[in-house]
Amino acid sequence: MMQTPTRTPGYLVSAMRVFDLSIGEMLWSRRTIFMGLVVGAPVLISVLLRALDTFGAPVFQMNGMRMAGPSIFGLMIWVFYLRFIVPVLGVFYGTSLIADEIEDKTITYLFTRPVPRGAVLVGKFLAYLACTIFVVLPSVVIVYLCIVPLRGSLGGSFLDLVKDLVLLAIGLAAYGAVFACIGARFKRPLLVGLIFIFGWEQVALAFPGYLKKFTVAYYLQALVPHAMPNDNVLSLIQGIFHENPSAPQALFWLAVILLGFLWIAAVSVERKEYVLEQ
Amino acid sequence: MTKKTRYFMAASAGIVVVGLGTGLVAYYGGGFPSLAASRSGPSELSYVPADATVVAYANVREVMDSDLRQKMKAALPNETGQREFAAETGIDIEHDIDYVVAAMTTPGAAGLQQQPNGLVVARGRFNTTQLESLVREHGGVVEEYKGKRLVKATNVDHTAVNVAPDGTTVGKPPHTIVLAFLEPGLVGIGSEDAIKSSIDAQLSARSITSNNDMMELVADIDNGNNAWAVGRFDAIQSQVHLSPEIASKIPSIKTFAVMTHIDGGLSGMLRAETRDDQSAENLRQVVQGLLALGRMQSDPKATAMINSLQLSGTGKTVALSFAVPSDVFDALAKFPHDGSALHQLPKQLHELHGEALHALEAPKPPTPNR
Repeated sequence: MMQTPTRTPGYLVSAMRVFDLSIGEMLWSRRTIFMGLVVGAPVLISVLLRALDTFGAPVFQMNGMRMAGPSIFGLMIWVFYLRFIVPVLGVFYGTSLIADEIEDKTITYLFTRPVPRGAVLVGKFLAYLACTIFVVLPSVVIVYLCIVPLRGSLGGSFLDLVKDLVLLAIGLAAYGAVFACIGARFKRPLLVGLIFIFGWEQVALAFPGYLKKFTVAYYLQALVPHAMPNDNVLSLIQGIFHENPSAPQALFWLAVILLGFLWIAAVSVERKEYVLEQ
Repeated sequence: MTKKTRYFMAASAGIVVVGLGTGLVAYYGGGFPSLAASRSGPSELSYVPADATVVAYANVREVMDSDLRQKMKAALPNETGQREFAAETGIDIEHDIDYVVAAMTTPGAAGLQQQPNGLVVARGRFNTTQLESLVREHGGVVEEYKGKRLVKATNVDHTAVNVAPDGTTVGKPPHTIVLAFLEPGLVGIGSEDAIKSSIDAQLSARSITSNNDMMELVADIDNGNNAWAVGRFDAIQSQVHLSPEIASKIPSIKTFAVMTHIDGGLSGMLRAETRDDQSAENLRQVVQGLLALGRMQSDPKATAMINSLQLSGTGKTVALSFAVPSDVFDALAKFPHDGSALHQLPKQLHELHGEALHALEAPKPPTPNR
């Protein structure tokens, strides 16, 4: 009997198939509840601030000065999105791309399909990116629409909004790639990821010298169109040693981080033997 | 992909599109600046009014950290002014100011001599409470303008007068300097009009970023420069008050740009754009002549410096690049400490120095009449 030859789909087609399969799974998982809470907080706060302002309450007074909407928006982008939401979503989703399949012992089923192993990771990474971008960016837009008109103009901050949206998408991609790589290579990826964002990045940014160049935040912060807030001691220290690479430099290095780590992650998945614990 | 996922993604994309659309409409309503231009320069340009005729930028941090500054500091160790300023305001210029953006507009009161409206926006770390109390101590008052806190200090000069075109003199209106806390870490200093129009410019998106002519000049500044200024030449000319004879001899320059990079030495470029090719050619010839005159000097240092000037440009553009190497500054820094250099001074100067010392002898105190 003649065997029907099976054609292995190309890398990109395989990645898109895995993406199609994973996006729904990722979007309607328990992790999305966490993401909803994290992303919903700034939206709730901005709606609340807007309501308080409508009723004449003195919202956001600093040194006797009422902050204008664009300044509050800038502050929220820094404090909520850039310092917390983007790295935290990156670490929770990025490290779980492969780790979840290992934990659920379903990685074998994926690897037995006629698709390159690396494409599985790339497809899952694309699903993560779509999933987080489609949740985070609308939340930023709602915050912008609620907050900026408070003693500010939507038009005046429009370019900043566009920059913020692009910046956050790049941030999600870069952090996602770093943590996908950690997830593919380390045994306790979540722990390593948390140490990276809340330990290494914070400390490296607070010291003068070249150490900060080994963080994602250094390049990401260079693209922020808003002033860095001095809301705590660490921020104050970071502000003192704050030095920015130029925007093209920052974009170049973020692209290197994204592509480099994604490639390392894909190669790791291709080569690594995953032993499932019984 | 399930239907539920598709609906979710469509709704999410819808929110983003609605937000961006609303922002775009508002942005368009407030003046649509060229996108290419708006990417250039520091973001604080959004506080510079659209009608500014001169815009300047200085990366204070880089200049202060430069080797040149360190050499100057070593040569002039007793800089008391800076220390006094820090003690009074809490601002250490060396470390607290990152960069400044300055601008000048020339509205002037109708019929009176044109008064430049200066504006300086500084990014850094400021003790707002100390700054505010300092201005209050000097009779300043605090008020709010469109959500921004302004501290006003008024200076009334009863002797100052303005001359109207018909020759009559009128007392100058009181001059008000305003310190505005624009954003956390961002302060603006300038006349009341300048500060208010700056805040309006930022809020309404009618800033210099919507002035394509000026933003093209800013876009042409090379990234490596840590200080620059661009502007309309007529704005400078009107401030200098040249006599009509001299003014008619100067080739008609439309815009200018000065950019410099300060590190160990000083390098940069002076670029001017004239109204037509003929004016540019005339200007090139004038500069060439001046350079030739300079090369005739017997001083080798001056000749070396003149040789570092390079004239270039085609069409309506005239560019003069310069580079002062660190060696020149080293030599200048050594000069006051080097006793041998003093012997090269003319004898008359020594004599003059002696006479001056004699003249400066302390006067005897008067004997009190008892």
